[in-house]
Amino acid sequence: MDRRLFQRVRLRPPMIALAIVVFFFVGCGQGEKVERPEPVVHPIPQDALVVDFPAGVFGGHITETVAGDIGTLNPLINESVGGSVVIGRILDSLTTLDSETGEVIPNLAKSWDISEDNLEYTFHLRKGVHWSDGHPFTAEDVVFTWQTFFAKKRDPDTGAVLTGEDGRPLYRYNSRATFGQQINGQEPTFEKLDDYTVRFTTPEVYAPFLLFGGGVDILPKHILGEAYGDGTLLDQWSVETAINEPWKIVGLNMFVLEAYRAGERMVFGRNPNYWKVNLEGQRLPYVDRIITKIVQDANSSNVAFAQGLTDFESIGPDNVAWVRRGAERFDYTVLDMGPSSTTNFVWFNLNPGENSEGKPFVPPYKLEWFSDKRFRQAVSYGINREGIIRGVFFNRADILHGYVSPKRKFWYNDAIRKYSYAPEKSRALFEEMGFEYRGGVLFDREGRQVEFSLMTNSNNGLRVEMATVFKENMATLGIEVELQFLDFNTIVTKISDSFDYEACMLGLGGGAPDPYAGKDILMSGGRMHFWHPQQTTPATQWEARIDQLMLEVGRHTDVELRKKYFNEVQVILAEQQPLIFLVSAKDFVGYQNRWQNIQPSALGGLTWNLESLWPEVNE
Amino acid sequence: MIAFIFRRLLTLIPLLLAITMLVFILMSLAPGDFLTPVKAQRDVPAELIQAIETEFGLDRPWYVQYYKWLGNVLQGNLGHSWAYKLPVSDLIGQRLWATFLLSLSAFVFSWIIAIPLGVLAAVYKDSIFDRVSAGLAYTALSIPEFFLALLLVFFAAQTGLFPLGGATSIDYDYLSFGGQVLDRAHHLILPTLALGIGSIASIMRIMRANFLDTIRAGFVATARAKGLRERVVMFKHVLRNAINPLISAFGFTFSGLLSGALMVEIVLQYPGLGQLMYQSILREDQFVVLASVMLGCIMLVVGNLLADVLLAWSDPRIRLENKK
Repeated sequence: MDRRLFQRVRLRPPMIALAIVVFFFVGCGQGEKVERPEPVVHPIPQDALVVDFPAGVFGGHITETVAGDIGTLNPLINESVGGSVVIGRILDSLTTLDSETGEVIPNLAKSWDISEDNLEYTFHLRKGVHWSDGHPFTAEDVVFTWQTFFAKKRDPDTGAVLTGEDGRPLYRYNSRATFGQQINGQEPTFEKLDDYTVRFTTPEVYAPFLLFGGGVDILPKHILGEAYGDGTLLDQWSVETAINEPWKIVGLNMFVLEAYRAGERMVFGRNPNYWKVNLEGQRLPYVDRIITKIVQDANSSNVAFAQGLTDFESIGPDNVAWVRRGAERFDYTVLDMGPSSTTNFVWFNLNPGENSEGKPFVPPYKLEWFSDKRFRQAVSYGINREGIIRGVFFNRADILHGYVSPKRKFWYNDAIRKYSYAPEKSRALFEEMGFEYRGGVLFDREGRQVEFSLMTNSNNGLRVEMATVFKENMATLGIEVELQFLDFNTIVTKISDSFDYEACMLGLGGGAPDPYAGKDILMSGGRMHFWHPQQTTPATQWEARIDQLMLEVGRHTDVELRKKYFNEVQVILAEQQPLIFLVSAKDFVGYQNRWQNIQPSALGGLTWNLESLWPEVNE
Repeated sequence: MIAFIFRRLLTLIPLLLAITMLVFILMSLAPGDFLTPVKAQRDVPAELIQAIETEFGLDRPWYVQYYKWLGNVLQGNLGHSWAYKLPVSDLIGQRLWATFLLSLSAFVFSWIIAIPLGVLAAVYKDSIFDRVSAGLAYTALSIPEFFLALLLVFFAAQTGLFPLGGATSIDYDYLSFGGQVLDRAHHLILPTLALGIGSIASIMRIMRANFLDTIRAGFVATARAKGLRERVVMFKHVLRNAINPLISAFGFTFSGLLSGALMVEIVLQYPGLGQLMYQSILREDQFVVLASVMLGCIMLVVGNLLADVLLAWSDPRIRLENKK
């Protein structure tokens, strides 16, 4: 080795370092840049949808944040919130929901007919609509989208459909839709009648089809058809595509992805072929761009809004007080949107089974308490929900009486049994069960002290506080509750696999606005039938009744009839209290005051009419 | 030398085997798996969960999964990320640049500042400068990196002088090349400070101690006796001899680049490998975690190797070969 050479080099480490730094900048700055192909812009389609908002001024951009990074842009496999936001801006569906009334309204389908027997749905597509790259949108795309859901794995030699151990066919592309769009285990069929007409046939009467089937994001056949053929469909539209060739992700919605930087942000540009126009016949949307920053932490995101750095923001109940303080200085508005669609509840483990070692999941004497509806009712009467709202949420929550949040006005049944805070009613119920108080402590008929453990996830601060209030409330009733704050994954394993717990407090987010979407929770065979999931036959009479009613809810298309059945479901749930509902936090949103055409709605939030929003420029 | 390097690299094989096996066992012991959060969502069909479980092999015991994974790795396939549906190597490639840039700038920043400071503190031993710099160094050493990062976030939010997280500005893609370099540099300042300040303190203290040791060496007395100017004695003779131990420290710094950046990246929302690793661990995205752990392990071994080789190269007294 030439030592002198090394010494010469050693004398100048800063220079080498500098050279390397510059090299890295170059490395980062210049990916292989492929020119974005210029999309073909077509005239406004003959069936364009006219949006009923006062005409505004074109230009400007929106800056906003999203909570999580995207995992993929492929709607077939997306599981992340960030991904849904992005996909929801790019892709569109045949039908959508009215953000005011919650009704199913036309979208890419301008109208539809339903046959007499309620089995056939014929959708009439808007004519003259084009994908963002200029390719015409036709019935072919709709049929293609549904083909991807139900394509079967076939034997390469014989062409026969391969089946799994249970005799059911194996699918080529397992997605949520593959199983979620089946109706009691059967696939709907679909056919193209002409370029602008598609007909679906459901195997039995299935009320939510317009919403669930119509709400499917339509995929472009001219882009994904090849991948569908060669088996790589689920690998398409990955983050790699989003980074290097975002223009390959074409859609029918108002925006297209212009750029994506992993972990940092996405930039959306206007879809030049969008099919909605304003009252003056100008093609929407108004804004040129949306810049969506990925900010993992909700508090940092709220800070950015409160400093005027972002335009729209959803604000947590624990942050709203200080965010409001800056409203005047930075010229923004904070709105109380009322109860959110998230629910918080407690339930007891009613699973009578035993583990592989023959040990019961719940000690038999405790299971006997929990299975008595009077016990659950007594606990429900003993919870001070107002206290939770005041103490935990600082009045930024509402009491939740039953399964349906009052936000879903259409399905909400107010005529159910309600459990206002009344410890004396709890005591009366316990005494009716033969329990007795000795020195303020509750004992059951056999003289065993009444106590149980309640678990909830430790990473949700509000829930931990609610559990603490619950413990105090139960202490007032003479019941000792042992709190267990566990990791979320541990809880999910306990409630879905090992079942070794006594009581649990959790929450559920929105879900689709049709009551049938709750079938996995409400029906006794459901995977999310928290208190005793996946029963082969209903364990109790009232569960059997709910099963029946839910089948009817799914089977009828007459809305009043469906409502009647679902009202009864709510009545039974309130009487039996398998899920003891607590409170629902309120939603708060904020927006900078320069935005025009803002018309917040309980269901659609602030940006449901994104295409009509435009910023006033103040000089 | 070549034989020595070869031998060192050979030890990597059992090390990697043991570490990846440990990760597999730990991840199988941890409650839940990648699909657990999916199971907690209300509208995911049970059949889909089952289908994915079979597809990922999550229904098999850990040693079967490990065996399959090992087979794939030997064929050069690190597996697919479940969360991103991408080959792990592509995913890590996306983020590696950003982390490397950050580590490098923190490294350059700390060395450029620490070495002169250390030398000055030694030359002017026991002066006010030495005392103050020692005090500051102990303070810097005792502040955890993540806390420093939090303070910097607060500073940035209060003053608005620096961007709050990210590696590039919104208009980055529309900037000229010079503008892009400046923009990246602007975003690098805070993470660099957070990552670099701690090591400035430690490198400076090492440098000072080495320098003081060397000043007392016989050859310094000789040089002074020859009548050389003090400046020449210090910077030509003493400095060159005192810097040797720092060369081995360089190797260790290299091995710590990846792990050190993790905390800072998370707090300062810098989109690098550390952030990816952290999210993968939370999500139990197994193959990404494994690849990251392997990368960290390889960097540790290579860093140590680099230190040994550099030292042998610069110091003629050290021989790596076995003496005959």
